[in-house]
Amino acid sequence: MDTLISISVVLFPVLLAGLLLYLLMIWVAGKLLSLTTSSIGAVAKITFDQAVRMRVAVVVFALLVILLPLMSKIMVGDGTLLGKMQTFTSYGLGLISFLLSILTIAISTFTLSNDLKRKSIFLVLTKPVRRFELILGKLLGILLINAMLLVLFGSVLYACTLAVYRYADVSDEEMARVQNQFFTARIGLKPTIDMEPLYKKAQERYLAMEENNQLPEGMSASRIMRQLQGQEIMKVKAVAPGRDKTWDFENVRIKSAEDSETVLFVRYKLDVTITPPNEQVLGTWAVGDLRQYRAGGEVKTPVYPWESYGPIKTKREFEVPASVIAEDGYLGVGFFNSPAANRTTIIPEDLEILYETGTFTGNYIRAILLILVHLAFLTILGVALSTWLSFPVAILVCLVAFFAGLTNTFIMDAIAGMSSGLGLFYAFAVKPLLWLLPQFDGLHNPNGYIVDGRTLQWTFLATTAGITVFVKGLLILLVGMLIFSRREVAKAVV
Amino acid sequence: MATAEHYAIETVSLTKIFPDWWGRAKVIAVEDLDLRIRSNEIYGFLGPNGSGKTTTIKMLLNLLHPTKGAAFVMGGTVSDPKISARIGYLPEESYLYKYLTARETLDFYARIFGLPGNIRKARIETLLEMVGLSGMGNRQIGTFSKGMARRIGLAQALINDPDLLILDEPTSGMDPMGTRQMKDLFVELAKRGKTILLCSHLLADVEDVCDRIGILYGGRMQVEGTVKELLQQKDETQLRLSKITDKTLDKIKAAAAADGHDVEVTNPMEKLESFFVNIVAKARQEAQTTSGAEQGTGISGFLADKPVVREETILDKLVAAEVSTTPEPATEVGGVETTQAAQPAAQPAADTDLLKKLSQQPDETIGFDLVDTSATQEVSNEPKEEKPSVKTDVLNDLIGNKDDGQTEVTRSEDEKDNS
Repeated sequence: MDTLISISVVLFPVLLAGLLLYLLMIWVAGKLLSLTTSSIGAVAKITFDQAVRMRVAVVVFALLVILLPLMSKIMVGDGTLLGKMQTFTSYGLGLISFLLSILTIAISTFTLSNDLKRKSIFLVLTKPVRRFELILGKLLGILLINAMLLVLFGSVLYACTLAVYRYADVSDEEMARVQNQFFTARIGLKPTIDMEPLYKKAQERYLAMEENNQLPEGMSASRIMRQLQGQEIMKVKAVAPGRDKTWDFENVRIKSAEDSETVLFVRYKLDVTITPPNEQVLGTWAVGDLRQYRAGGEVKTPVYPWESYGPIKTKREFEVPASVIAEDGYLGVGFFNSPAANRTTIIPEDLEILYETGTFTGNYIRAILLILVHLAFLTILGVALSTWLSFPVAILVCLVAFFAGLTNTFIMDAIAGMSSGLGLFYAFAVKPLLWLLPQFDGLHNPNGYIVDGRTLQWTFLATTAGITVFVKGLLILLVGMLIFSRREVAKAVV
Repeated sequence: MATAEHYAIETVSLTKIFPDWWGRAKVIAVEDLDLRIRSNEIYGFLGPNGSGKTTTIKMLLNLLHPTKGAAFVMGGTVSDPKISARIGYLPEESYLYKYLTARETLDFYARIFGLPGNIRKARIETLLEMVGLSGMGNRQIGTFSKGMARRIGLAQALINDPDLLILDEPTSGMDPMGTRQMKDLFVELAKRGKTILLCSHLLADVEDVCDRIGILYGGRMQVEGTVKELLQQKDETQLRLSKITDKTLDKIKAAAAADGHDVEVTNPMEKLESFFVNIVAKARQEAQTTSGAEQGTGISGFLADKPVVREETILDKLVAAEVSTTPEPATEVGGVETTQAAQPAAQPAADTDLLKKLSQQPDETIGFDLVDTSATQEVSNEPKEEKPSVKTDVLNDLIGNKDDGQTEVTRSEDEKDNS
């Protein structure tokens, strides 16, 4: 109860400030748009006013006002402060992104189709405004309100996140963990497993089994193959008691690696073949220039050991100074399955070397910008569709595209999987259309970056913006403009 | 296609066929229409419902594409911003953005025309004043009655000081006072060099103001010509005399009968519209004695603003010219009651005097070739004198029962009359 009160005490001023910010931004945006006398600016201004007066923003605001504080109380994650902050921010950002996407779809499909339906477009197009200017004005107006709401809600969530952290009543150790793993922007290096030889081995085994008629009955060839491949991969990954395994990272370049303050994080998850009674195993690690051991010579640069008992199947982290990286950029991570402590084969999963590249705030801003890129795409799609579709149809298509974007990877995989028989039709008709689908999931989901404190790189952001808005979006927009410039805006009335 | 600029509107065998779902011709809305409207002409486009008037206008405005033929406006098409910058369009209904206020609406359209801020502001206030909605500038269009929205529609059509006005049933939904005012405005605009395409099926409106008319039926032009050509009965003669004695009348009858002509004697009838407008004007004048001061400041305030406004544009001259007549109507107010509601009304005598006086002013005569000159003069002159003093109360009743802000409505309706 105390936490709820303390959170409310913090959140109330935050939300109040948010409301004031909202009003201020409306005022500023109105003034800004008033500065231009271009017809695009004029259209943008009334579109902006329309969105503001539709009160959709207020509804979204109200929803967030209710949901955010509630979430900060309800979301506890795994019980730790880190888990709580991760779930809170993740859900908060997801909620903002989702609500604004729906809002964008609604406004962008509504504004032009409503003009056409109510014929207010008659009074606009008979004035010195070209049709593409009308569309650009609409886009600009919606983008502006999007940007405004995003900045607003983004700031509120940011303030809430900081508040949750500041007013958390936990140990210093846990606070430090949040600082290291949440309030940061880190880049992760993952070891790559060369799959080719493993697949080859699996293939050989398959052929051998076929020759000896050992293939299991009632299983398709591809399924057997997959199982064999899995077995081969597991052989490489698994570490039996008393055995060890090393992962080599080449070209690890970190700015200010010599600085004694700079640290690396080793993240891992331990899986087991036989679950121990207390569900804990001992992991023994060594990080540094492990080539020195292999050469058998003298150990010159320090190798940092780390040993800890911990729960299985949970992501864990430890830190080592960045000075362990060899001068040529080599870094080795070794794992030893100590037979004295463990009786089970351990499968280390998701091994990653993380290092800090920026601040949480910078990362957060980029995540917000990534959301804006998504919103820009939806805006273009909505307006382009409503140049020739009525509101209900346009919003339906837009929503389908949005949800398809949220599950892009899955859809692509599924269709690619079943499309082998479709041939030419797939290659020339379905595939280009599918390519136009936006990508909102996986690496394009800003949530993942914030939750894990991973760096969302500017280059990635720029590439995504380029492809999503300036390639896909522009293409859709041009088609919409072409249709709009040719169509009759009045209906046949006799 | 060579299209001379001297035609404000020209169509060449303009045809619009609406196909059915299968692409077969379903309805022929407009067929082989050759419309030529000269500059500085008021052209009345007549026809029953569904005769293709609005379809033609939409093709002129590039809102519909012709199936065949072409439409030229000011020697080009409306899709060219240079052309559309010179056009004012009032559609058959007020297709305004309901969520904008009256002032924002006009501001939006003014911005599209690229008018700079100070001119925009001045014009908006002038126009709001002119259409009688200056007190309601900050109210959303969605809360306006049809007639009020129509007035805003007219204001937006005039905001760019257009050379060509395309008006689709401009007076629909307007009360008689508003209708009269609009018609005066059209005549006044034409005097100042504008071309007007007036599309209507209210014949009285067209007859009063138009130079030429065309009657459309079934998408084809049935007849076209000046009002005089079309309406003058060449085989009859009408004499108009001052009050004469029976004796004189008998002489005239006898003289005519000697030559074999029939004579029919009647007293000239006043048109219902002008009669109505006079009655209302008088009634409002009466009411002015109680609240005259307030109204006065409103007008002078507007006049003071006037020099700031740009001077050359015809629009402002127009508005200024009409407002400047305001102090004039010092006509006496009679105590005679009329049957018109419970409102005190005017002496008909005073009214006739005024009309006579006005119709004698040569410089006020309209230079158009109209048959019923006296009627037109009434239209153009008389309201200018009368209306500034006209009070709102009656008009309010006419416009419809406003359930909101009675004072607000009253004030703005006053200001409407300044135009």
